[in-house]
Amino acid sequence: MGRGNIMLETVLQNRYAVTAVILFGIGFLNVMLQQNLVKKVVGFNIMDAAVFLLLASLGYISGRVAPVVTEGAQAAQYINPIPSGLVLTGIVVSVSITAFSLALIQRIYQQYGTIDLRELRERTGKEDD
Amino acid sequence: MHPYMENLPFLTIFLSMIAGIICGALHKGRTAYQLTLVVALINAVCSGLVLEYTYLGDLSFDYLMGRFSIPFGNAIRCGPLQALFATAFCLITAMALLGGERDLFHDILPEKLNLYFVMVNLLQASLLALTYTNDLFTGYVFIEICTISSCALVMAKDNGPNLVATIRYLFMSLLGSGMFLIGVAFFMGITGHLLMPPQAQAVLALRASEAYRLPLTVSVGLIVAGLGVKSAMFPFHTWLPGAHGGATTASSAMLSGLVLKGYIVLLMALTVRVFSLELLVELGITNMLFIFGLLGMAFGSIKAMREQHIKRMLAYSSVAQIGYIYMGLGLGTSAGMVASCFHILVHACCKPLLFCCAGRLSAVTGHHKSLRNLRGSAYRDIAAGIGFTVGALSMLGIPLFGGFVSKLYFSSASLSTNRTALALLTISLSTVLNALYYVPALLSIWIRPPAEEETTILADVRTEDLAVDTPFRSAAVVLTAGVFVLGIFYHSILDIIEAGVRLF
Amino acid sequence: MAEKPVKKNWRQRLTAWVDGEREFKDRSLFVMEQRSSVTFRRPTEEEHERREKHRLRWFLNRYPIGAGLLGLTLVAVLMAVVLTMPPFGQPDNPMHNEVAQRYLERGYEETGAENIVTAMILNYRGFDTLGESCVLFLAVAAVMILVLQDKKNTNKQDLAQRAREDTLLKSHQDTILKQAARILVPVLFLFAIYMLLNGERSPGGGFSGGTVLGAGLILSSLAFGAGRVQALLTRRVYSAVRTFGLLLYAGLYGVNIFLGANGLPNYLTGMTMLIDLAVGLVVACTIYGFFALFSRGEL
Repeated sequence: MGRGNIMLETVLQNRYAVTAVILFGIGFLNVMLQQNLVKKVVGFNIMDAAVFLLLASLGYISGRVAPVVTEGAQAAQYINPIPSGLVLTGIVVSVSITAFSLALIQRIYQQYGTIDLRELRERTGKEDD
Repeated sequence: MHPYMENLPFLTIFLSMIAGIICGALHKGRTAYQLTLVVALINAVCSGLVLEYTYLGDLSFDYLMGRFSIPFGNAIRCGPLQALFATAFCLITAMALLGGERDLFHDILPEKLNLYFVMVNLLQASLLALTYTNDLFTGYVFIEICTISSCALVMAKDNGPNLVATIRYLFMSLLGSGMFLIGVAFFMGITGHLLMPPQAQAVLALRASEAYRLPLTVSVGLIVAGLGVKSAMFPFHTWLPGAHGGATTASSAMLSGLVLKGYIVLLMALTVRVFSLELLVELGITNMLFIFGLLGMAFGSIKAMREQHIKRMLAYSSVAQIGYIYMGLGLGTSAGMVASCFHILVHACCKPLLFCCAGRLSAVTGHHKSLRNLRGSAYRDIAAGIGFTVGALSMLGIPLFGGFVSKLYFSSASLSTNRTALALLTISLSTVLNALYYVPALLSIWIRPPAEEETTILADVRTEDLAVDTPFRSAAVVLTAGVFVLGIFYHSILDIIEAGVRLF
Repeated sequence: MAEKPVKKNWRQRLTAWVDGEREFKDRSLFVMEQRSSVTFRRPTEEEHERREKHRLRWFLNRYPIGAGLLGLTLVAVLMAVVLTMPPFGQPDNPMHNEVAQRYLERGYEETGAENIVTAMILNYRGFDTLGESCVLFLAVAAVMILVLQDKKNTNKQDLAQRAREDTLLKSHQDTILKQAARILVPVLFLFAIYMLLNGERSPGGGFSGGTVLGAGLILSSLAFGAGRVQALLTRRVYSAVRTFGLLLYAGLYGVNIFLGANGLPNYLTGMTMLIDLAVGLVVACTIYGFFALFSRGEL
């Protein structure tokens, strides 16, 4: 039993949060490195999903059930309802933003015939004085 | 039972929201415009009343959003400072709309004007909510409203470069909100609360017990960085010139004057109420803010100097001014914060004035925007020329103008810290650089070009643009008066700000 | 400026300086604000342009490395944070404090909703949800600014192409889709209504119910043709429903806040369902609106 084992145990215990961080990293790198606007939007969606996973994992308590109270039940039987509500809000915001950015991209494609950020930069660079 | 005054902050938010929803159903752009204007003015009056109530009573109050007491339900909090900002924000929204009215109706398709005013109203609602909020997650939701509506304001003009500028703005903002949200998630994970007062207690306990040191540092850092990205703190400013420089006049004025400030006000509220300045100093975050602020002051000005397009020049100047505000926060003292608050007001007053005047000057020059073509344009609309001059002189920090006072207070705030020399040097450097681009701009609008050039330019001008623009004039007068009030009667305003920071 | 050999009077020199001659660029071309996009090149600035491009390429070549490093650092930091955070699933984490406890214990009596998540988003933290509905409203409005047909984003060719596609679709109807939709759409609507009305008792509520309702509308629009749905949900009706839903919600909630904050008695105790319905309308309109706007550019 060394430090490695303890480390591994922590990782396994926090597996959802760890996955969330990895997803966040994937999303972040997508946003930073992709030049294709649609892929950037996908990157943002991955980032959002990662945050939602993290939030949901924060609210979970082992062995408990979803917070729909029935009569005669104890509060200690349910998971924490707060993060679930926040995730709901977050999802709605993320959907709205995705729709907005896709509409923008559609219009940009109409205007310039490309959705590659590099090409766009070259095409718009000289005309917005 | 509360005094009825305490209902007004929520009433202003509520009114803006309702107005936004109604604007969506209106068919006539003109009606939506009038509705928006009226609501903004009513909100300004209401916020003014709240300001009087809180300042004279020397109090700040929590207003429960519903029946549930503080750790359980949403709440907003209002003190003199919030009321002051809210008054200024509403008034300046109205002035920006007045000042950019003609451009607005010229740039945006008539059948989509009502949607533009949906954005304006909800933007105002979100700014007010960001100012008043006492809840981190409410902050996040309204940050997103602010993001969408401000992006929509940029793209409303709807030409190619605008769309590209909007998407860059949107992506940068989304990166910022992603960082903010994950920061909030971590922060909630270790403090267990979303409302600011219990969070503050939890942070105190965490600091005392040294538990969760790393998560605390990183979550605070992420929240600050997220807000920094959204408010165009120096290395994240690249989206700003395109977005603010290309939008229609009223949008540029609102974006530069208000939207950037909304995030900073939230950051200040978080700093004072939750993190406390000492924690930020301890974690070294103020140092980062200070350095980025200084860099922003210098680089923003340098970029502005090389810019010939008048609105982009003003946009780069915003980067520099945001740098001032972050520098004040980065001093890590409450004097620095007071100076930053004052500078927020000054900049919120000057920039819309400058943008409106620049819009007007370019309108009387056939919508040309490069400084060369704007030569002599001040004579074609004297009011715009004078307004631009006042704004520019205030940015330079000439006594009697608002900008002077804020520079003075930044300098005096830096005296008591160990960063005096750096701060003073950068302030003076930035002032010189400011002069290097504002003076040529002033000269160029006041010096007449050779006659033949003027006639070529005038050939592009539409005659209806040359007519006197009364709404613009009234806005220019009010904003100019604002600059002078900030520059001359600064004592009472600073009193309010100091009371506000004390009672945050 | 003073060393300039060319003899000019001070005024001309000043004017030249003001015009940006200090940068030694020829700015003799008028720079117009709106100009056809692709054709324009400033011929005298070719060199400048090349330099800019070179600089851009230099930047772009190094950018991925920097961004990658930044991303990896971020992941490493976040990973360290996650591993030092309160462990997953433990009941004594800071998250699970008196707030959650009160929601679970007294949520039903205080709000009348058995589903505590619904109770929380519609009552305890209702302001957030109001903001959230505004986000939806705003998103549709923003998409409308962008893609609703107008003279800037649609021309005759586009319209003609769209008409051709429509006739093509009409002549080649998809039997499987149509038959499946005939069975599915009523079920979807029924399920949506159930979710909307039962949101306080069971998982579901305004947001999920509204989404299912919107999905039903989209499916019927796809299967039976856009015209059928449009006849029912004209632009005017659509706008009215959307505005009404959000106004209803905002109004109810505003009253709730004003009453609650002033400590006045609140008689609207059973309003969770009404709010759920209003939210559902907004969400359904949003989802369908996105679909209609993206597919046809009109409502």
